[in-house]
Amino acid sequence: MPIKLIVKNQDRCMNCATCVFVCSRELRSVLSVKYSAIRISRSGLGFKVTVCSGCEEPDCASACPYEVLKPRSGGGVELLNPEKCENCEDRPCLNACSLKALQWDDERKRPIICIECGVCAKFCPHEVLYYGEEV
Amino acid sequence: MNGDILFINLTDGLSWVENRRELVERFIGGSGLAINLLNEYCPDGVDPFAPENPIVLASGPFIGLYPVCSKTIAMFKSPLTGNLGESHAGGRLGVAIRLAGYEAIVIIGASSKLVWLDIGDNGEVKINSASSLKKMSSLSTIMALDEPSPCGIRSTAAIGPAGENFVYYANVLVDGYNFFGRTGLGAVMGAKNLKAIRITGCGEISVKSLDAYKRMFEKIYDDVVKSGKMRKYHDLGTPQNVLTLNKIKALPTMNFKLGYFEYADQISGEYFADNLLIRKNTCPLCPIGCKHVAILRSFFADEHEVESLEVGYDYEPIYALGSNLGVGNSMDVLKLRAVCDRYGLDAMMTGTMLAWATEAYEKGLIGLDETIVEPKWGDVEKYIEMIKHIITMPNEFYLSMAQGRPYKNLGEEFLVAIGGNGLAGYHTGLAFIIGTAIGARHSHLSNAGYSLDQKLLGFTIDPVNAVEILLKEEAWRCILESCGVCLFARDIYDKHTVLEALNVIGFSHDVESLEKIGRITYGLKYKFKFKEGFRFQNLKIPKRIFETATANGVISPEDVKKALTVAEAKIKEIVNEATVQ
Repeated sequence: MPIKLIVKNQDRCMNCATCVFVCSRELRSVLSVKYSAIRISRSGLGFKVTVCSGCEEPDCASACPYEVLKPRSGGGVELLNPEKCENCEDRPCLNACSLKALQWDDERKRPIICIECGVCAKFCPHEVLYYGEEV
Repeated sequence: MNGDILFINLTDGLSWVENRRELVERFIGGSGLAINLLNEYCPDGVDPFAPENPIVLASGPFIGLYPVCSKTIAMFKSPLTGNLGESHAGGRLGVAIRLAGYEAIVIIGASSKLVWLDIGDNGEVKINSASSLKKMSSLSTIMALDEPSPCGIRSTAAIGPAGENFVYYANVLVDGYNFFGRTGLGAVMGAKNLKAIRITGCGEISVKSLDAYKRMFEKIYDDVVKSGKMRKYHDLGTPQNVLTLNKIKALPTMNFKLGYFEYADQISGEYFADNLLIRKNTCPLCPIGCKHVAILRSFFADEHEVESLEVGYDYEPIYALGSNLGVGNSMDVLKLRAVCDRYGLDAMMTGTMLAWATEAYEKGLIGLDETIVEPKWGDVEKYIEMIKHIITMPNEFYLSMAQGRPYKNLGEEFLVAIGGNGLAGYHTGLAFIIGTAIGARHSHLSNAGYSLDQKLLGFTIDPVNAVEILLKEEAWRCILESCGVCLFARDIYDKHTVLEALNVIGFSHDVESLEKIGRITYGLKYKFKFKEGFRFQNLKIPKRIFETATANGVISPEDVKKALTVAEAKIKEIVNEATVQ
C-alpha cells in the first residue's frame, strides 16, 4: 500500500493550525497561511481540514491545459513544468478539484501543491491528519 | 521582528506606521513593548473614558512560531482600578497582528458614532459604521464580521452591551472563546465608540536560521505533548481546581464566608467533563485545547421546545458564579456564565459584585428599593435579573454595581476586591493576598501567590520572604508575557528554553539581560501606576479576608501590613532602576 496523507479523524480538529504553519515552513521556509497547502475552516460544531486527497486520477492535472501538473505515482500531483504555468485567469486547476484543496501562490503565480512530506501529520496532536498506509 | 507599530486615530480617521525596532529589540514585545507605549502615549491623569486614553494591543515574538504562545497583551488606563489596565487574551489576534506586519497596534481618539475597525496588510485600515451592530452581543458581532480569510489568519475582537454602556468591568471577546477580561477594556472601547476590531494578516513570518528554529520548535512541541507538564490544562482544564481547592478549604464560598462548598462535586471539573463537555478549543499552534466547552440545553416551552448554547467553562467563572454565589448546580453556573458572555461582562467581577450585594441585602444594609429583585444565595433567576440591571443601570445602586464599588460605601469590608479588582478564587493564604496586592494588575496571575500558598501548605511563610519570591516571579512573568507565552506553559518555558528560543529567532539576550528586562518591565508598570495616583497606603484589604480561615489558617493583618511596607520600598527601587535605564 502506498504511503499517503489522509484526514483520518476530522471531528477531532481543534483548529490549532499547527499543520497549516508547518506546511508553509516546508514549502516556502516561512510561517504563513497563504503559502500553505492546508486550510482549516469552521464546520458545524467543529472544524474542517482541507488537504490534498492524493487522487489516483487527479482532476486538477486533467484540467491543466499546459501540463504543469502531472499525476504522481502513488497519488496526488507534482509540479512538472512550473515555468509553463500561464497563470490562467479562471484557474481551471483549482476549480477542477471538488474539495477545493489546491491553493494558489499569488507571488510565484502557480498552484500550491501538497508534496506529501507528512510533516503536518507529525505535528497533529489528535491524529486528525494521518500519514501512513491507507486504511 | 520588523519593529512596525500601527497607530490609528479614531477621531480623525487617520492611521500611520512608526518603526520602533530598537524598543522591540530591547523589550521583546507583549508586556514590555506595551508598557513602554502606554507610558509614552497616555497623558498624565487622563480620564479612562477620554479619547486620549490609548489602547495598546501588543503581539509577541513567539506568537506564530512556537507552541502554546498566543497571548496578546492589552494595556490602557483602567476605569476599574483607576490606574494600569492590563489584560491578556488568547486566540488568533496575536498571530493576525504579526501576519499583518505589526508588532503592536495603538488606538487613540474616539469616534463620534459607533464604528468597527477593519485592519488589513500594508497599513490598510478601514473605519466602518457599526450602526447595525449596536447593542448586539459580542459573540453575534464576531459571527457577523468574522468571515474566513482565504489568504491568512483573521481575528475579531468585540464588545457587547456592557462595553457600550461603560460598565467598568466590561470585557472584550476575541474570536468567540477568548477574553480580554478583568480591568475593563470593553468599557474603554465603548467610550471610543469602537464596537469591534477585525485584523486580517496575510503576510508571513520568517526566521533567520530555519533549521535551528525547526529543532527548537520540535523540542518544545515534544515537551508540551509528551512530558505531562500540561496534563491538567489538557485533561479537566482549570476547573480541576474546584475539588483540589475545596479539599484544602480554599474554595471561596458565599462571598468568602467559607472556604468549603458542600456542592463542590456538582460544579467540579470532573462533573463538567463527564457530563457536559462537548469539545475543546485551542489557540494557534497550541496542541493543548484548554478551553473546555459545554452544551447548555434549555427547554423554553412545552413539547420539548429546546434551545442549545455552547458555553465555555473555566475555573474562575465557576468559582465566581458558582460557589461564591452559593450556586451548586452545573447548568445554573453555565446559565450565569452565558448571560455574562451575552452582555460582555467580566464573569469574575460580576460574581464579586453579586456576592457583595447578596450579603449586603442579607444584612439589611440595602433593600428592594435598591436591588429591585431579592438577591439570594443560589437563586440563579434573580441573579440573571440583577445582571440585566447592571447593564441598564436603572438606579444609583446599579450604577455603583456597574462601577464595581459598594453602594454608598456600605459593607465595603466584605466587598472582596483589592485595588478595585475582584479577587480570584483562591482563599489559600497570605501569599495570595500579598501577591494580588503587589501585582501590577492585581491579578492572581501576576505572580501566582496562590501557587506558593499551595506549595507551602501547613508551613508558615515569613511575609518578607513571600514578597521576595513574588517580586522575582512577577518580573520573570513579565518576560513570558513579553514573548507571548501562555502562562499555562510556564513549566515548559523555563529560563534556559526562553533564552534559546529567543536567540534562535534573532534576539541576543543572556540570562542577566533577560532578568533585567523583566524587572524593568515590572518597574515601568509601577511607574505608570504611581503616575496615575496608585498609593500603597490607600490600598485596602477587605476585612473579610482576615475573618475566614484559609487553607493555611487565618491571615494576620499585621503580616500583610509588614509585607506591603517591604514591598513598597522594593518596588520603588525597581521603579528607580526602570526610570534611569
